Amino acid sequence: MQDIPSSTLLVLVPLLPLVGAILTVALGRTLGSRAHVPAIVGIAASAAVAVTLLFGMVRQVAVGNSAAQQGQQVQPVEMVTTLWEWADIPNAQAAGGTTAASFLIPVALRLDPLTATLLVIITCVGLLVAIYSIGYMHGDPGYPRFFALFSMFVFSMTMLVAASNFLLVYVFWEAVGACSYLLIGFWFTKPEAAKAAKKAFLVNRVGDFGLAVATFLLWMTYGTLNFHDTVLSDGTAVPGILGVTRLADASGYVGGAVGSAICLLLLLAACGKSAQLPLHVWLPDAMEGPTPASALIHAATMVTAGIYLIARSGPLFVACPGALTLVSIVGATTALIAALIGTVQNDLKRVLAYSTISQLGYMFASLGTGTLLGFSAAIFHLVTHAFFKALLFLGAGSVMHSMGGVIDMRRFGGLRRVMPVTAVTFLVGSLALAGVAPFAGFFSKDEILASLHSRGWPDTHGEHQEAVPAGGHAMTAGSFRLVSVTPDASRLAGGDRGSRLDALNQPATWRLLFWMSLVTAGLTAFYTFRAVFMTFTGPTRVPEQAGHHAHGAAGSAAHESPPVMTIPLVILAVASAVSGWWLFSTHGLATFLAATPSFTAPSIASTATPPVFHWDLAIQGTLAAAAGIVVAALGHLGKRSDGPQMERFLGPLETLFANRFYFDQIYAGLIVKPLEFVATLAALIDRYLIDGTVDLVARLPLALGGLVRHLQSGLVQRYALAGVIGMLLIVLALVARAMG
Amino acid sequence: MDLGSLLTSTLTDTLEVSLPLFRVELALSATIVLVLLCRMLPVLRWLDSALVALGGVAFALWYAWSDLRGLPGSPWPAVVAATHPASQELFGGLLIFDSLTAYIRFLLAGFLVLYILFTKISGIPDREDGADFYTLVLGSSLGMCLMASANHLLMIFMAVEMASVPSYALAGMLKGRKASSEAALKYAVYGAGAAGVMLYGISLLAGVLGTCHLPSMAAELGRIVGDGADSFYVADSAGPIMVLTLGGLMMAVGLAFKLSAVPFHFWCPDVFEGAAAEVGAFLSVASKAAAVALAVRVAFGLGWLGDAADASAAGLADVRHFLVYLIGLMAAVTCTLGNLGAYGQTNMKRLLAYSTIAHAGYLLLGVAAAVAMLGVDPEGCRKAVTALAFYLGTYLFMNLGAFAIVAVLRNRLRSEEIAAYAGLVRSNPGMVVAAGAVLVSLVGLPPLAGFVSKFLIFSSLVEAITKGIERPLMLVLLVIGGLNTVISLFYYLRVLKVMTFDPPPEDRVAAPAPVWLPGALVTAVVVPVVLLGIFWSGLYAYAQLAGTFAS
Repeated sequence: MQDIPSSTLLVLVPLLPLVGAILTVALGRTLGSRAHVPAIVGIAASAAVAVTLLFGMVRQVAVGNSAAQQGQQVQPVEMVTTLWEWADIPNAQAAGGTTAASFLIPVALRLDPLTATLLVIITCVGLLVAIYSIGYMHGDPGYPRFFALFSMFVFSMTMLVAASNFLLVYVFWEAVGACSYLLIGFWFTKPEAAKAAKKAFLVNRVGDFGLAVATFLLWMTYGTLNFHDTVLSDGTAVPGILGVTRLADASGYVGGAVGSAICLLLLLAACGKSAQLPLHVWLPDAMEGPTPASALIHAATMVTAGIYLIARSGPLFVACPGALTLVSIVGATTALIAALIGTVQNDLKRVLAYSTISQLGYMFASLGTGTLLGFSAAIFHLVTHAFFKALLFLGAGSVMHSMGGVIDMRRFGGLRRVMPVTAVTFLVGSLALAGVAPFAGFFSKDEILASLHSRGWPDTHGEHQEAVPAGGHAMTAGSFRLVSVTPDASRLAGGDRGSRLDALNQPATWRLLFWMSLVTAGLTAFYTFRAVFMTFTGPTRVPEQAGHHAHGAAGSAAHESPPVMTIPLVILAVASAVSGWWLFSTHGLATFLAATPSFTAPSIASTATPPVFHWDLAIQGTLAAAAGIVVAALGHLGKRSDGPQMERFLGPLETLFANRFYFDQIYAGLIVKPLEFVATLAALIDRYLIDGTVDLVARLPLALGGLVRHLQSGLVQRYALAGVIGMLLIVLALVARAMG
Repeated sequence: MDLGSLLTSTLTDTLEVSLPLFRVELALSATIVLVLLCRMLPVLRWLDSALVALGGVAFALWYAWSDLRGLPGSPWPAVVAATHPASQELFGGLLIFDSLTAYIRFLLAGFLVLYILFTKISGIPDREDGADFYTLVLGSSLGMCLMASANHLLMIFMAVEMASVPSYALAGMLKGRKASSEAALKYAVYGAGAAGVMLYGISLLAGVLGTCHLPSMAAELGRIVGDGADSFYVADSAGPIMVLTLGGLMMAVGLAFKLSAVPFHFWCPDVFEGAAAEVGAFLSVASKAAAVALAVRVAFGLGWLGDAADASAAGLADVRHFLVYLIGLMAAVTCTLGNLGAYGQTNMKRLLAYSTIAHAGYLLLGVAAAVAMLGVDPEGCRKAVTALAFYLGTYLFMNLGAFAIVAVLRNRLRSEEIAAYAGLVRSNPGMVVAAGAVLVSLVGLPPLAGFVSKFLIFSSLVEAITKGIERPLMLVLLVIGGLNTVISLFYYLRVLKVMTFDPPPEDRVAAPAPVWLPGALVTAVVVPVVLLGIFWSGLYAYAQLAGTFAS
């Protein structure tokens, strides 16, 4: 992959959507109802390039693996293209001022199995959603604006996963956030949309702050921000944070307090972007945006940026077992709580939003295991989830489109007769989400459960290879190897605060997390099929708002969406049906991802397991899903969706779930209200103190000495006097300093 | 030494060493003569003086560029092997040619090319006034080139006056306007006063030290201060030190006037408001670059003797200490008052005047850091000068862009009041985008050029702090710089708010003005503001070259 065409191709992946975005902005008014053309052509070309790159990468990994058969060591595969050096300041300070490191920030893109996989997902799902949007957004006054933002988002997101240093990641982390903000608030004249956009923006700020501070700490600790190894202009090699040199060095990663701090801050960032507890509150409100934007940004791609960040920084986390365990705890807890809330939502898009939060929680739980299985399972689930959740959102959008903007499930029902294609594809997506074999979600969820199970019951997974990385020492149970704290790090650490967190890392914890995940699986199946039954079964009812599609009397008014919307649904449905089985049976994705540099660190690679289908876990998972579906069927199958609901039998719990565990209220009380108070205070200070000072300073020469008034009055002799007085004051200050 | 050999050596020095490194100034001088000739000779009357000036300035730019590229260590050594000495005194020590000289001259020449295009497009001066205007501009620029390369107190005074006197006339170019004439008069009176004080200071310094040549002065200064009393400021037994301090302060008055540093900034808002936007652009960019270079030169010249470790070195440390506090104090006051003064301004040019004052403060922060690390930490000092050089390079585009927008909008709206810009986004979205880029860059936000500049200046302060050099002062300066950046956000963004959110005035009659040329001009100046934020390593490499001048 070192040949020039590949690096050019890699640059094309983000570049083409960018060009599409710029053209849409420039020509939007001229193109009118054809404003989608530049965006779609750009994303389609980008998708083609990404697929080409993926195939090239697959070949490269296969060659590497066959060459490495003897050595038993998976070779890292990466290709880095440096576009230009953004900053190159020699001898900048790092590592607490003890060593001089060059502040070298190249604008570099990278290609490795992880990036190649994500690029394909982003561009291909992006393309399908963009095509769907032609139908969905038809006739909207902001039609060109939508496609410009959409293209801009694809550009930012591809840059985010292709960037090869933390600063660039930060830049595009913000860029996708900005696109998300603008798309949530796309209908900014609607107060709810504007409010939701603001909320998403502010909540994400907390996470972004974490990423910023983590970047500072990384620079202080490692003296570079690059992922890859770089060579300075004077010939010195700088091992990148995730470069092959440091990865091969067992003591290359800092643990202890500093390492844990970095990891916790990265986790905070990931929680913001991926809507995990306690920063999940923005995602449900984000559904105020256009449904295609929700499908791509708030379900399939942007919200997985947190997963990507943690997976990419895997070796950093593995060096801090406490922080790593916390990733799983956050993930499993979020998964459970979001699923519980999802069971009582009546807004179809909100059900899906909570489901997204919950599924992202699964991925976090899986990442936190720190094993190769866990990382690849998380990415596997990311891939299948991108398909089926995009499908479900687009299906919900199709329903909403047909129902004239109504999305409350109690107001319609029995739609399978009205919109058959949507109903069938939605069902496929639901089966995938619920984890029913042989649909995609079944396989990826099974791997996640397996990774958690292997940490909770390490003895039953004895097939792990034993390979202690040189220089490191094993610190914990099971197959899991940890890198010891380097001397430099322990100096920075100043104690064992980091390892206090490590106490979380017990088999008992993992067993609890496993059970939580299993319960979540059942709940997922329940709320998914509750939505399916409420929407598509029972007597056919449509709300009167659907009337604008009317051909006659109400009832026959609603109709199936146009082909431009249903064809993407069908394609995604096929992908949701077969991708899981295909990727699992060939074991292709896991082997492929194992060649990602981050996962070749000895601490992760040594946890590799042979591909096994865990029958016991599969049965448990299927039973949970079946239970959920059966309960949902008992409650909702064939009944009027506005009839009495079984959830009310939950009693006070129903109130708790319906109020989303009171997160918003708690935040309002603990954070928003005090902040509003501070803001009011600040406004008063601004009005009276600052403005007062400014007014004072505007005539400050007057204050100088209090002798002269209105010096900046245009009288030059007063200016001279002020100059003299000013100079005297400076002399006085200098003399006073010399004396005192 | 007989007269013959003296004459020969002078001739050799002048013809073979000095003049080849003086080509930029020669080109400017020749252009002035040509412009005047064109006006006088009826045969050449048809020639547009702007075009003549542009041609001459293009030559100057080419010479400046080849001088910069010919330096040893130039970022593109592959193109031209080093043809110039790293450092060379010219005309018997009156001037010095080194990388700082070359860099500043290149900036000035590049600025002049853009500037003449700008004035040609914006229509001030008209054809009638062209010859006068360009003669004055080029003459003033000549003085600024000399400011950047002065190595002798007399030369410093000459250069400052040469740069200032044409500026006074420029300020009064709009002859029909009362405000313009008043501004010119004030500027001249204030400038004359400052010049007088400075000349007095120079005579005091020269009298005590017995020389006007900066390096010789530094040696003498180090000796006197080294031998002097325990305290530098108390003159119980050391009369000369008292006189030297006084002389230094008086000289600082002259420099502060050119820099528009507080408390010698009063002329700036009045002059900018009274004079045409075109003149404001010239004063705020070119004059600032030259003044900063001169301040660096004087502070470095007086505070350091190269690596010569003799008795005078200890004395010079005291001198530097004094200079750092003087400059740091002025920097802090200047950027704070500049920013606070910009609040509540209703006239865009006046706001930009205060913005210019504030930026002079930021530049002085960099000078303070450079002087603090001078001789103590050569690497850090180089980086601080690099930061200054980079700042000047980006500042050129930012401020030229700001004034170009003001001029273009003045032609279109017949007003320079901020209120007149209300709702401009509806009729001139491109201009508002450009104004946004420039103003946000002036605040110093990424990914624009102003961010990188400010980042580099602040990082030199941080470097001094981490190395423990003048730590308390540098810490205070860093905090003040940071707070000022926050403060400045409000008044710059207020302009954007007016342009975008406020409803356009009912009675707006946009004058029929050409669109393409002004649009192209603003684009040409504003695009670098964006690009230099994203691709800044090229300019940084040249700035680094300028930073090597003191080593």
